[in-house]
Order: sequence, then C-alpha cells, then structure tokens
Amino acid sequence: MGEIKPTGVFLAFNLSDLNGIDPMELGEYVKKIPGIRKVWISGEELDPDPRKILTEINEHKLKRIILAGYEPGMYKSAFSYAMNEAGLDIRDVGLASFSEYAVKTIDEAKAVLYCTIFGIPYPEARKNGSAIVLSETLVIGAGIAGIQAALEIADSGNKVYLVERTGTIGGHMAMFDKTFPTLDCAACILTPKMVDVGQHPNIELITLGEVSELKGSTGNFEVTINKKARYVDENACIGCGVCSEKCPQNTYSEFDASTTLRKAIYIPFPQAVPNKYLIDAENCRFIQEEKCGVCQKVCPAECIDFNDQDKDIHIKVGNIVVATGFKTFDPGKIKEFGYGKFPNVLTSLEFERLINAAGPTGGNIRYRTEDKKGNWVFKPKGSEPERIALIHCIGSRDRNYNEYCSRVCCMYSLKLAHLVKEKLPESEVYEYYIDMRAFGKGYEEFYNRIKEEGVHIIRGRTARIAQEDGHLTLRTEDILNHRLIEQEVDMVVLAVGLEPRSDAEKLADLLGIKREASGWFLETTTGCDQCSTLDQGIHLAGVCQGPKDIPDSVAQGSAAASKVLQNIIKGKVDTDISGLHDIELRAKELSSIMEDES
Amino acid sequence: MNNRIDTTLKADLKKFGLQSWNDCFHCGNCTALCPLTEDANLFPRNSIRTMQMGLKDKLMSGVDPWLCYYCGECSDTCPRDANPGEVMMTLRRYLTSLYDWTGLSKKFYTSKVWELGAILLLGGMVVLAFALFFPTINPELTADGGVRINSIMPLQWIEWADWTMGIIVAGLLISNLMRMYYKIAFGAGAVRIPLALYFKEAWQLAFHFSTQWKFSKCDGKRYWLWHWLLMSGYTIMFILIMVFLPWFQTEEIFEVWHPQRLLGYYATFGLLFGLTAVIIGRIRKSNAKFKFSHVSDWLFIVMLFLTVLTGILVHFFRIYGMPMATYYLYVAHLAVLVPMIMIEVPFSKWSHLAYRPFAIYFANLRKAAMKYHEKTEISLATT
Repeated sequence: MGEIKPTGVFLAFNLSDLNGIDPMELGEYVKKIPGIRKVWISGEELDPDPRKILTEINEHKLKRIILAGYEPGMYKSAFSYAMNEAGLDIRDVGLASFSEYAVKTIDEAKAVLYCTIFGIPYPEARKNGSAIVLSETLVIGAGIAGIQAALEIADSGNKVYLVERTGTIGGHMAMFDKTFPTLDCAACILTPKMVDVGQHPNIELITLGEVSELKGSTGNFEVTINKKARYVDENACIGCGVCSEKCPQNTYSEFDASTTLRKAIYIPFPQAVPNKYLIDAENCRFIQEEKCGVCQKVCPAECIDFNDQDKDIHIKVGNIVVATGFKTFDPGKIKEFGYGKFPNVLTSLEFERLINAAGPTGGNIRYRTEDKKGNWVFKPKGSEPERIALIHCIGSRDRNYNEYCSRVCCMYSLKLAHLVKEKLPESEVYEYYIDMRAFGKGYEEFYNRIKEEGVHIIRGRTARIAQEDGHLTLRTEDILNHRLIEQEVDMVVLAVGLEPRSDAEKLADLLGIKREASGWFLETTTGCDQCSTLDQGIHLAGVCQGPKDIPDSVAQGSAAASKVLQNIIKGKVDTDISGLHDIELRAKELSSIMEDES
Repeated sequence: MNNRIDTTLKADLKKFGLQSWNDCFHCGNCTALCPLTEDANLFPRNSIRTMQMGLKDKLMSGVDPWLCYYCGECSDTCPRDANPGEVMMTLRRYLTSLYDWTGLSKKFYTSKVWELGAILLLGGMVVLAFALFFPTINPELTADGGVRINSIMPLQWIEWADWTMGIIVAGLLISNLMRMYYKIAFGAGAVRIPLALYFKEAWQLAFHFSTQWKFSKCDGKRYWLWHWLLMSGYTIMFILIMVFLPWFQTEEIFEVWHPQRLLGYYATFGLLFGLTAVIIGRIRKSNAKFKFSHVSDWLFIVMLFLTVLTGILVHFFRIYGMPMATYYLYVAHLAVLVPMIMIEVPFSKWSHLAYRPFAIYFANLRKAAMKYHEKTEISLATT
C-alpha cells in the first residue's frame, strides 16, 4: 500500500445541508486514517481565510488538502491560494463532493472521503464486476413519457412491461385540449401513440397495476406487480357501454378532474386504452352491499365477474424506467383564494376539462353549478362567464408551499387565455403573473401573440379573492402602474403547480432510488444526465424527475429508452459493492495497484 | 434627485435589526393583502423596493412605515419569507433615528451598551439625588394611617423636576417632528400644501391620537383594544403626574370612589392589562408582530412594567402605612420612570406616539393638497 502524503481535511458543512450527517463523527473517522495530519470542521476551527490556512499548512507541514462536503468547491480558491503561497502544487487541493454522488448517509460520506484520500474515484472503488442484463424492461407509469419510452424500446424488438395504476394509459396529457406553443390538439398527438401501445406485440400492458416489491439486482430485477381487480374480463368486453348506461351509482370522474360525474362501472374516456370497462369497487353497490348487480344482468358479453380478485404478477426485467409523473398542487391550502368555497374558482386542470371539446360541456365555457343531488358539476347548458382571471404561481415559487418554479404554468395559462379568447371573443381575460417564464422554442413568440389577442396581462400576485353577489373580486397590486386594483370577474382559474405524487417516497424506497428535498426523484447529475439514477438499471423519465412540459417529457422518455437500449445491447452492467468496509479495502487495493504501475 | 443605487443603506439598516433585504421578489402580495394601504401610500412592497435601492431621501420624505400597524398578515403569507412587516418595523426604527438631530437615537438603537448605559446613568442620577438630598424622612404616619410620602422630598421639587423633564422631552420631540415635517413637505417628491389645509385637516391629529382608528382596521379589534388600553392608561397617568402632581400625589387617603383614585386605578389597569398581553405575546411569539423582538422592544416593555409595578407597590405601602418600604420603592419607581421617559419618549420606541398621528396627518395633507391642485388645474383648463 502506498504512502499517503501529509494531508489536511477541511469538512465544509453548512447547517442547511448537513443531511443528518454529523460532522464531528466524520471528523473522528478521518483522523484515524494514516497520513491525515489535521482535520478542520467549517465554522469550528478554521475560517477559509488564505492567511490562516497558510499558517496551518506550515504548522502541520501539510503537503495536500482535501475539501469535503456538499459544495466543497466553494472554498477551493482560498485553499489553492494558500497552497500556492506555501510553495506547494495547487493540484494537491482535492475535492470530495457529496452532492456529486448523492450522499445521504454517514457511511456513504465516509466512503467518498476515504476514496478521495486514496486518490481513487468513488464509482471505481464501488465497482464489483459486471452482471448480465435481461432484455425485458419495466416501465412504471403510462403517461406521455412512459409511453414514449415503452414504444421506443419495444420498436427495437425488446419486450416491455408497461404498468399503469389507473384503468387507462395516457396520463395527464390525455386530459388536455391543446398543447403550447403550437396549439396542436393534444389528443391527436397522444391517441395514436396510445393505440400503438395497445397493439404493440412487444408491449405487455398492465393497467390497474402497482409495483409492490423489487428483488434481485441491477440487470436482473425480480418485480412483483399487484394488479387490482377490474371485475370485467378484458378479453371478453366489447365496450358496448350498456352496463354503464344502466348503472345507478354516480361518483366524481377522475379523468374530468372531478368536474362531472361518472358511473361506478365506467370507461375513463372514449379513447381509453385498453378500451374496456372497469368497476370502481369503492362505489359499486354490489361489491359494497351485495345489492344491485344490474350491469351483470344487462352485459351482452357476460364479461362481468364480481368475484374477480387482486393478483400478483411476477416478472423479471433487466431495466426499469420510472415515469410516474406528478399531481397538481391543492389550492385549498391557501385560504385567501377560497378554492373549495367559491364554486367558480377553479384549478387549471378543472378548466382544461371545461374548455376541452371532449369535456363535460363539449368545450363550452359554463359556470360550475349545483345539480339536484348537491354535486357541483359543469353542465353543457347555462350561461357563459364574461370575465375570466388567471392567477399564476399557485403553490409554486412560494416558500410556504413549494419553492421551485413548476415551469409549465406560465405557458399553459397563456394557452388557456388564448382558448378563452377563441371560444368567447367578447370576454375579458386577465392574467396576474409575478414573472413571465416563456423560455422554450417559440414560447416568447406565443406570449406576444396572446398579448396581441387582447388578454390583459398584469404584473402582480393576487392576494385575495372575495365572492359577492355571484361575482368574484380579486385584490392585486398593479406593480407596473403603482396602484391597487380590485377587479371583478366571473370565474378564476388558479394556475396550480406540479408536485411529486404522494406515494413517491414509497416508490423511491421500494426501488432504492433517491429523492431531493423537494420530493422529485434524484438524477445523477442535473446538468448532464437527467435520466440516470445511481442504479444503472433504473432510469427516470418525465415529470417525476422534476417539472417539465410535454416536449421535454417526450425527449426524456426517448433518452431513458436509449439508456435502456445501451444496457441491453452491451448485455451487461457494472455492479456495485456497498458497505463501508468493502469499499475501504477496494480503494486501498486499487491505490496499491496504481502505485505498482507507476 | 439621487440617481444611484446606494449600497450602504442595507448595512446601516442591519444595525437596526434588518434580517434579510434581498428575499423579496416583488410579487405585490403584501401590498394587495394590507388592510391599510391605499393608492396614495402603497406599502410594504414599495418601501422594500426603496430600501433595496438605497433611496434614503425617498424613505425620509415618505411616511409609509408609520402607516403600518404590523398586523403581520403580509409576513405570514409572503411567498419568499421576506417578512415585510418586520422590514416596516425596522424602517420605523431607522426613521426615528433619522428624525433625531442629536444622534442619540441611532446610538441607542444600534448599541446595547449605549442604551443600557444611558438608562443606568439616569437611574443612578435619580438615586444619587435622593441620597444627597436625603432630607426629612418622616416615619410617622398620618392621621388616617398613611405614609407621609411627600416628606422624602418636597413635592414642589419633584414638580419642578417634572416640568424640567417635560420641557426637555417636549423640546426634543417637537424639534424632531419639525425635521420630519421638513423632509416630508420639502423633500423628494413633495407637494406644495396650501396653508388652509393645515387647519382643515388638523382634527385628524386629535382623532387618530385618541382613537388609533387605523389600528382597529388592522387585524381584528383584539390587538387594537389591548393597545388602546395601554395607550389611554399611559396618557392619563402621564397627565396626572406631569400636570396635576399636587392633586395626585397626596398624603391624605381619599375614598376609593374619589376621582383621584379612580383615575389612577383605571390607568394602572390599562397599563397592566396591555403590558401583560404584549409580554405574553412576545414570549409565545403568538402572532407575526411578536415573532421578532428587538432589544428596544423588550427594553421598553420591561421598563414600563417595572414602573407600573413599583408604582402599585408604592401606592399600597403608603395606604397601609409601611414607611420605609414606601420610601425605598418610591426612589426605585423614579429611578425607572425618569430614564424611561427621558430615553424612550424622544429617542426610542415610545416616540411613535408622536410620529404615528403626525404621519397620518401629513399623509392626509398631501392627499388633500393633490386633490386641491388637481381641481385648480381642471378649473384653469376649463376657463
């Protein structure tokens, strides 16, 4: 084993990024490594002041310095300067960056630091031979990103299992009317892809399925998928819809963002894939109380089976693509907006359904009204609102909720404003924004186009909505005009941001992947590789990795597919060892090999 | 007018308790939420912008920070945790120090040593005065069993000291108010105010001083009531001591329903109730306005509380005939009271009792003047 130069280690921690790692414990660990002459902990003993560092270098006769922490590069200049002053080589200032390897535990931190001290790249020390990669792939989530990844992998001739939690594939994109900035019809882009998925010989579609267990290792995962009972035989159902017609039980439709009602036996939307009915057990009178059973009686194909059971499907795959998407922010948390209290304060997703030609009103903009049974729904008949306001940044860019920008809200709000103007040319549309983020190809031009269409765009975040005599009053500071405005409108659309799904944590634990503080799945390097995780067999696609729009989600789906295909074509992946002790041994071994070679 | 970004202002404000100055991203949520702001005086966001750009002159020639009563709703809902309410509070401290021509206010606000030192010095001087002139203590009781309180020092001397103190404090306050007025009436962006308007709007001063109507529009009536009890108790006590001392500080013990005792009891109750509520609030940080306590906030509350406490004890020791306890506590009472009035009223937090109503008065004058000019312009245009 090679000798280690006299080294000083600076543990650069901020209180905010400790991540549960105790700097003292790490310090104690480092002190025991031979060759380490001095350990400083930031904020404790040493200011990163070049003069002080110089004195310390001379005092302890150091020849090398290693900076460790989540952002150790911040301090590098001061140490390089001091090393230079001491007449030493500034290349001997080394960095052990914890964020680079997504360190979450103290053992990982110790391992990264140990490897850096021995001059061995951490991934190199973790490497432990290679494993054969199975050619099957599991894609979790069948939104646009998952569909794109599944199709590309399947088109190359490899088997794909596509698991979807709901009764149909399509995800959020299927709910939208138009896409920005080209105003293409979302369904016209998505539905052919959905049909392709349904008919592809290499894709096995598992709807109503959830991944419940993961065993095995990279290249050879053994996955258990829990498939919920559909109560309808998928192969026998002819999709005639008689069952749904006769079903007496109504409940809010998830696909219509709860703006209208569906039956307990239903098909999410007419273009659903698979185009087969399913029973929502929680609302089915027969399953809950053993009363009714009308659907079974009227079904001409005799495909309804109330004894259907949840079942586990076991599959073996070489790669996994996680494309689980997002949920929208619940604006009911912000009491000033009165969402949930005022019926015509809507979320953008509800408004998407309202304005969608295939939505509950056939694309006509109507007020939300109460039906005879007390449900608040959109109905095709009724009067039209004349003044509509859109408020940006709901639940995004707000430290009380989510600090990040959700990236899509500015653009979809502009798109919705355009659609309102298209359907109700006489209406007044007001948009309240903080900063307008039109960052993509053709987006700024789209923004200008919307302005030209006569939408009133106001800089200022609406603080409060009040409802009086059937209309809504918005109180906002008109920042660019130095005044307060109290604008009366008939309908308000809250541009809600995107949030990780509520079970993202569960899935991350199950798959052994990391999440960042905001909850999105963590990629290896933000700048360079957005679809890889630390496990070479697990890849990310779409919004589950961070907010993004449809073009970006599709691009990431393709990127994930190409990563999967790389592994399949190579036929093997490098496997890792874990456990601090093993990594230490490996690092020492590698270091002595290097020594011999030189 | 100043056309540069002054980077020194932020550093200066930090000494007055400013926590962060760059968090705000100017969404306007705070202004839109504020129950007191209006087109003529838009705050808090606008004040934050002025502060960020270092426009000291603009800050000084405006009254916006004084119009904020710190309900804290802006701080609670601020998407950036920029604490607009606390920024306004800091600006009030800063403005107080700018109005003060002696420079002592700045010293007291920015240095604990100066503030505590001055309080101890003045308190010590009071004790020393009693020690030197320790005159004719009379441990004998009066006919109705009370302590001969005025034997410790001739009442007339105390009254003279009172008047001297009153004149000094009033002189300082009035001169500072003049400076405030000068900046507002002739500073950046000032409007010419016709003389008649000064008289026409003068009722605002008395009205807002005595009712604190704006505060009641802030967040619910509860805090307004606490504050009003505190303020009215303080004012009544202040007048009793400053103007009617011979009538108030008697050796004769009157019946409980005598106006002398009733007024005293009301004032004490008001002070005690208001103070207790504020102290509990500040300890529990129960509301955004109580979340951050500057040294000057605590010092003022504690001094006033000690004054009230010693005052109550003096009263009861006197009535129940405990001479030595009465005399020692009387000295202690004055040793807290004198520095509190001399330091807090002209130089520190207590000065808001003058600046707030005047700020409202000036703001309304400005509005009335603008309306007046608009009208004359229209009539000129039509003729």
